[in-house]
Amino acid sequence: MKKNAKILVFSTEKISDPAIDMAGLLKLHYPPTVYTITVPCSSGIKPSWILHAYEKGFDGVFIAADGSDCVFGESCTEKTGNVVSITHDKMKGTGIDPARLRMAAICSVCSESFVKQIRSFNDYLIKTLHA
Amino acid sequence: MNEEREVLNYDALVVGGGIAGGEAALNLANTGYKVLLVEKDRSLGGKMILLSKVFPTLDCSACITTPKVSEIARHKNITIFTESEVTAIVKKSENNFTAQITKKPRYVRVEDCTACQLCEKACPVSVRDEYQFGLIGRKAAFIPFSIANPKAAAIDIENCTLCGACEKVCPTHCIDFTMETKYYELHAKTVVLATGFNLFDPLLIPRYGYGQYKNVITSMQMEREIAPTRPFNTILRPGDGKVPDRIAYVLCTGSRDATVGNPICSQICCMYSIKQAQLLMGALPMADVTIYYINIRSFGKGFEEFYQQAKGMGVNFVKGKIGKIAEKENGDLILRYEDINEGVVREAEHDMVVLSVGVKSNPTVGKIFGRGELKLDPFNFVAQEDLLGSPSKTSIDGVFVAGTASAPMDIPDSILSAGSASSEAISYLIQHQEL
Amino acid sequence: MKERIGVYICHCGGNISDYVDVERVRQAVENDRGVVLAKTTVFACSDSNQNDMVDDIKKHNLDGVIVASCSPKLHLATFRSVTERGDLNKYTYVHTNIREQASWAHSDDKIGATEKAILLVKAAIAKSRYAEPLYPNQFEAEKTIAVIGAGISGMKAAVSLSDKNTSVILIEKENKVGGHTATWGPLAMSDEKGSDLSHRIYSDLLQRDNVTVLTGSEVISSKGSIGNFTLKVRKRAQQAGDPVETMEFNVGSVVVATGFDPYLPKAGEFGFSSYENVITLPDFKHLIDSFSGKYLEYRGKRINRIAYIYCVGSRQVDGENRYCSRYCCTSVIHAAIQAKKKFKEIYNFHFNRGIRTYGKQELLYAESLQQGDIYLQSFEDAPPQVYAENGKTKVKIKDVLTKEKELEIEADLVVLVTGMVPRADNSIGTMFKLPKGRDKFFNEVHMKLRPVETVIDGITIAGTCQGPKNIVESVNSALSAAAKSYSYISKGMLETEPIVAEVNTDLCAWCGKCAEACPFDAIGQKDVNGKQVAVINNSVCKGCGMCAPVCPPDAINLINYSSEEMMSMIEQLAGG
Repeated sequence: MKKNAKILVFSTEKISDPAIDMAGLLKLHYPPTVYTITVPCSSGIKPSWILHAYEKGFDGVFIAADGSDCVFGESCTEKTGNVVSITHDKMKGTGIDPARLRMAAICSVCSESFVKQIRSFNDYLIKTLHA
Repeated sequence: MNEEREVLNYDALVVGGGIAGGEAALNLANTGYKVLLVEKDRSLGGKMILLSKVFPTLDCSACITTPKVSEIARHKNITIFTESEVTAIVKKSENNFTAQITKKPRYVRVEDCTACQLCEKACPVSVRDEYQFGLIGRKAAFIPFSIANPKAAAIDIENCTLCGACEKVCPTHCIDFTMETKYYELHAKTVVLATGFNLFDPLLIPRYGYGQYKNVITSMQMEREIAPTRPFNTILRPGDGKVPDRIAYVLCTGSRDATVGNPICSQICCMYSIKQAQLLMGALPMADVTIYYINIRSFGKGFEEFYQQAKGMGVNFVKGKIGKIAEKENGDLILRYEDINEGVVREAEHDMVVLSVGVKSNPTVGKIFGRGELKLDPFNFVAQEDLLGSPSKTSIDGVFVAGTASAPMDIPDSILSAGSASSEAISYLIQHQEL
Repeated sequence: MKERIGVYICHCGGNISDYVDVERVRQAVENDRGVVLAKTTVFACSDSNQNDMVDDIKKHNLDGVIVASCSPKLHLATFRSVTERGDLNKYTYVHTNIREQASWAHSDDKIGATEKAILLVKAAIAKSRYAEPLYPNQFEAEKTIAVIGAGISGMKAAVSLSDKNTSVILIEKENKVGGHTATWGPLAMSDEKGSDLSHRIYSDLLQRDNVTVLTGSEVISSKGSIGNFTLKVRKRAQQAGDPVETMEFNVGSVVVATGFDPYLPKAGEFGFSSYENVITLPDFKHLIDSFSGKYLEYRGKRINRIAYIYCVGSRQVDGENRYCSRYCCTSVIHAAIQAKKKFKEIYNFHFNRGIRTYGKQELLYAESLQQGDIYLQSFEDAPPQVYAENGKTKVKIKDVLTKEKELEIEADLVVLVTGMVPRADNSIGTMFKLPKGRDKFFNEVHMKLRPVETVIDGITIAGTCQGPKNIVESVNSALSAAAKSYSYISKGMLETEPIVAEVNTDLCAWCGKCAEACPFDAIGQKDVNGKQVAVINNSVCKGCGMCAPVCPPDAINLINYSSEEMMSMIEQLAGG
């Protein structure tokens, strides 16, 4: 049985990626099958990328969003939400469990929150996909 | 002075190439001023470049220092003199300082040296390595340490037997025993003193047994044992090479201690000891680390959390100043102290003791100016004439102090102090260029 | 597409190589498509390696460079500059973090960490293949600098900037300058009065032509970015009937020096609000500064015995404030010495958790002991208790220093040594989007490498808004921040962030959705070969990418974050 799920994380350069760095600094361990791609803002993530990830074998995709801290303004939260709901629709359309996409606002020092979320996401994915 | 002196002209003279001097030089250079950075040792980086990791983030010290040093070395506005000392600064008038600089010969042409280390291999002379604080030896023809800047060989002429073996093997023929001491007269408009600090010499406390008992070492020696460019493969006790498993830290060695003439707190020892303890717990998972303290001063950003983290990792903290250390036949040590929490006098056995030595002033800074011109404080640090209003101002207008030359402080505080000193120096230059 | 990529994998002196098998990573990527060089190095950031990289670029004719090392926060700029020295466009440089995000995060699983590092490097190679050279626009920076907050830090920053012939707008919310410092009498380590210190700095400021001081004023909005911020400032009416003034300023950089709030104890905390003779340290300081008389009095009662309870609101075990407030031990001991010198028959009792008079401040602790102050230390799990008995206020403690004896002191006055907390009014932080650290004060980018900068380019932070510190430390940080802000604008010209969106005009069918999504109004319409298409204004575009996902024909991509690039990276991370 596979031990850990393969998770793709989209982090943001100024906000959530520093938190993920800090998780490493503080040696807060999470599965090594979690890979991060950094973008300027979570609202710029295209649904096609997320779907491509599932196609290529990722069990889950996690968007570590800017939340209200976003350096580009307040509309980020809403727009990131739109990206997620559009992707959810497409996932449902192609028979992919929408719970395989998660999004949470991760502030620049929210390392513990990030690790907790990833671990719980990992647990869920193992249970549903690899039980 | 009979020697011929080459005359140099720069906007700013920065004395000391450690982190504070380096930061100040960079700030001045980035603003467009020409800086002469004078360092008495063979490499830039001061003490910071020899450390393992820094608190409270446990960033590796070399990772932070080497790129800064690299930036300084490459900067078109900074000229670096290593193995050089500033011997007399005279203030002629505002914006007008004259300094005498003595540059000792390295006996190696740095531009041509490729740091191939063949000279090191060929040299027959071995002496104690001061960059490893005496833990191991080095040759008389040697590269100071792997991340030194300039990374080039040097000849320790005091210990050299002039056998010529190094010259014979050098592929670029850059070893030159005909090099001589050079003398310069520098004209500069402002001076920044960043001469750093000295570590307290624990020989002044004979009852701790340093120098007598082989397994009592200083914190700087332990720092080298832990550092990535360490002398041994693991942490060993010098007496017999055993890997220790009961390590003790003696805080306030030479600080808060009027009997050795240093009643002030050195500010960094609690934190660096906790840092080393955390690193030891990681490197030697079976080891016990105990810190004997008076007060734990974890006052800065992230410090208290770092202290709690160490407690969580299993580092023992015992409130009680060590009175005396005795040695057993097998090299183990007995520490005698009053356990304050329990209210009894105790003795504890450890197989290795680290003395957390404090920060003392660097006496050379007082000799750079004429007698009495540069005021020093009662502890021989550079006096800060307007401590609250302008902390980098000294008793001489146009001369500023950065880093531990003025008081004990940690790396972030040294960097901010250097930022402050260079900011004042820049203001001084701008204000006086218009007069 | 890049065909001659050089990959450098850093040991980081063991920080990476202790957990990740860097040689295995090197072997796994050296034959990847486009890679002509793959090396490991002990310290990628060292001078010798940087020089080697420049040599390699020239010798091997590299067109792409990747370093796999620590977080880009530390050395992205360093390695971009290396590629420039090798005559490559610095925006083609790709960085991947295999330290914080591989070796450190997975130090419990060396094999896992190595496997992850391999995939991260492969993804970086995929990104590098697509990395395009970018040419930022240059624009002239505004030469004026705004300083928000006219406490000791703000005022010193303003003086320093003014010295450098820079115009300064100093904006202060209150009607007076000087912040907390101006309200104090004699200060620790110098005995100069806070009011005098503040006054002499302010007098200096008033004489300077290039400093505009606005009191009773608040920044109500900010637009723009480094080199060009537009701040709207509202000045309160000085008297009833006066108009409210609103002003606009264009500045190149902003120094935030908004200071701290003193911790306010909760009702009942060590007797606060329950007993009228329990006060905070700031109030005690004001009392002894201003009271004149042979004996100290508070609310009509004679004060002889003062109990100081340390660490109130700091180092909280159960509360939110885990940090040490740094200034308080020294300040309260100085106040205790001052009280004893000024008034007759004062007895000081310090109920503490370990005295932290660091550095030369230790001398104050010694002086206090010399003058007969009594120090009692509580155990960490048993704080002192304040209660009333027979009309008297008492403080009880289980004392560490006398072998757990339970001692009780009758106190005429109880002083709670309160720490520093971040300002309750976070309007400036919210306005500029300044992230906060774990202690909720403003966060610097890196404590050692970039101590006064924030992630918002052009905004620096000074003084206690960054964290608790004393006056000397605040001034040092203010002068450093001033120097940093000055360095942003001093060269005159700044470069725009070159990451912008680009439109594929073949696919674009102008629907307007991208323009609607853009928060900066950077997208317009134009005619290209007879077709109406979207056009990006590169000097306004901030590179956020909000326009990209909303385009129906998928005609917009963010440069160096294109779909092709992202999908290629995803493929590599999935295992190729």
